[in-house]
Amino acid sequence: MLEALQYFSMAWVSPQLLFLTALGTFLGIYVGAIPGLSVTMAVSILISFTFAWDINNALCLMVGVYMGGVYGGSRTAILLNIPGAPSAIATALDGFPMAQKGEAGRAIGLSTVMSVVGGFIGIFILAIAAPHISEFALTFQPRDYMMLGIMGIMLVGSLSGESLTKGIFAGAFGMLVGTVGLDPLTAEERFTFGAVELWNGINPVAVMIGMFGLSEALMQLHHLDKVALKQKLDRIIPAWADVRKYLSLSTQSSVLGTIIGALPGTGGDIAALMAYDHAKRVTKNPKVPFGKGAKEGLIAPESANNAAVGGAYIPMLTLGIPGDAVTAVFIGALFIHGLNPGPLLLTERPEMFWFTVGNLTLANIFVLIFGLTGIKLFARIVECPKGILIPLIFLLSIVGAYAINNSVADIWWMLGFGVLGYFMKLYGYQVGPVILGVILSRLVDENWRRAIISERGDLGEFFGQLFSSPLSIVLFSIITLVFVSQTPLWTQLKRCFKRPPRPDDSAHPGKSKDAAA
Amino acid sequence: MPHSQHSYTKPGETLFGFLMVVLSVFLFWQAYSIAGFESLSSPGAFPLAATALMVITACIACVQNLRLPSEVQGHFFKEILPPVVAVMIAVILLFAVVLDTLGFIPTALAFLFLTIKFLHRGGVIRTTLLSLMVLVLIYVVFRLVFKVVLPEGIVPEREILAYLSDLFNTGAQ
Repeated sequence: MLEALQYFSMAWVSPQLLFLTALGTFLGIYVGAIPGLSVTMAVSILISFTFAWDINNALCLMVGVYMGGVYGGSRTAILLNIPGAPSAIATALDGFPMAQKGEAGRAIGLSTVMSVVGGFIGIFILAIAAPHISEFALTFQPRDYMMLGIMGIMLVGSLSGESLTKGIFAGAFGMLVGTVGLDPLTAEERFTFGAVELWNGINPVAVMIGMFGLSEALMQLHHLDKVALKQKLDRIIPAWADVRKYLSLSTQSSVLGTIIGALPGTGGDIAALMAYDHAKRVTKNPKVPFGKGAKEGLIAPESANNAAVGGAYIPMLTLGIPGDAVTAVFIGALFIHGLNPGPLLLTERPEMFWFTVGNLTLANIFVLIFGLTGIKLFARIVECPKGILIPLIFLLSIVGAYAINNSVADIWWMLGFGVLGYFMKLYGYQVGPVILGVILSRLVDENWRRAIISERGDLGEFFGQLFSSPLSIVLFSIITLVFVSQTPLWTQLKRCFKRPPRPDDSAHPGKSKDAAA
Repeated sequence: MPHSQHSYTKPGETLFGFLMVVLSVFLFWQAYSIAGFESLSSPGAFPLAATALMVITACIACVQNLRLPSEVQGHFFKEILPPVVAVMIAVILLFAVVLDTLGFIPTALAFLFLTIKFLHRGGVIRTTLLSLMVLVLIYVVFRLVFKVVLPEGIVPEREILAYLSDLFNTGAQ
């Protein structure tokens, strides 16, 4: 125990490690916030920088960037409606409406505190329950992963926008984009049209920058003459009453976020969306409706995505399986430094486990410090005239797309998806499901095939197995429920189950109205 | 969240919906050509399912759209694709075309100057200064901090950077 504490506090007592964690967190916040820069990109570039460094120094910097970056994505989601990362998609749904009402400072303050709360809960669960949760994740069958992916897309499709039909179309289109290139299992060409350049597929970052960065900037051109909304940022530190009021929701979302983050392949994005959905279900009477600036809709995804960081470390450190894209890069870094993440890491190198836990905690504290300071400077970006801001976003999107592979081809993809996203948004299609579809395509595809191969291609057997596993039944029921709840069938069902009015109610219409209210 | 379709047809919406149906059918055919209906675990099975879903939902969206009142409100080149949007798309297209030949610095500077002048409508000196400031910021973040290799083109960037670092090294000694 004493040893664990000693390892835990390694980064806390060394000025060099302390500085590197602080620097990483600070940079991470800005990397996460600037459209076109992604945490995955920054961490992968950092690996090349820190190749020759001592592993502790390298990890401090990268852990800081990761923690700061996940939080930073929320800032642009709130201020510009451009999620800096997929995990901030749900944050934009209510964060941006809050900023439009002039409550940007409040939204940022609250999201910072709740992110930190989520971060701490995630780390706590990582430290306490890592072995148990990884054991649970091991029981997941390929069909469960597949259903989890579909569930994520269905959720984002049903969350915003005009119709679930268009949401499903967007999700299916995204999954299709994700299949472009050589099939990972058989190396067969899919949608390459004979072009070798397409063998590696379309880079999801190019799609993301196009659909979120470029299309949003093009949309903003419609409102060039509108005076930029003065962001009220005088009160950033949230009221204690607010924190106390939403602490319960934040805790629930954080636990949910950690569990989702701990499932291999699912990260902060699904965690945030599921937490948003959870908030919608448990909040019976929100002060402000969801999608119009409800604080609950901001708190839940923000707590969950930062909690998912701790969660994502669980399968990474105990199983050697990445929890999300960034942890996949982290695994690469650990290998480079001679460590072998997997079931033996905890027993062979306990110091690395506790050092990482301590480092994550420290980075989370720095998120709180940097998150509640320096926001005014950041917000000035949105106060600057759109005539200057939009060209800047365009240029960042172009350079960001180019930086993926140092190739102009990615700019073409970014432009193509940007223009398509622009028209989709105008005609009521959502772009969120497209991105999620692209990211989850491989997970769903591979696991579907694994599941069906293990049943020797028999669909009846597949469903037989599905309905014999409690976990699969739960996941399948959620998907069905999400789908049915968005169709006219649901309204009819609700009408059927409603208690028929008593005969005396009709005699006193006013009374029954009051009772309903 | 209760969903409601917008209550009128936007200009070009019917055409867009129809194009989505055509695109979905084309992609479905492409997915079919990967492995046909060979087996449920073939490389083409998942793309077939995704494109089939696209065809179905695109058709439903198209029919839903046709059910809306037939009169179109607004004008396509005013509400959907105003000149400013079309011009910006064209400028970005041009940026991608000349980036490799001219290099990042001149292309980005010209892009910033033209777009800021066009959108912000400030004076020439102010626009030039603003463009330079933004360019320096982006250059420092991407080229120097993140070491992103940007196309050099006509500016001998590496030589200039080497010369500058030499100058600093000499000064330090």
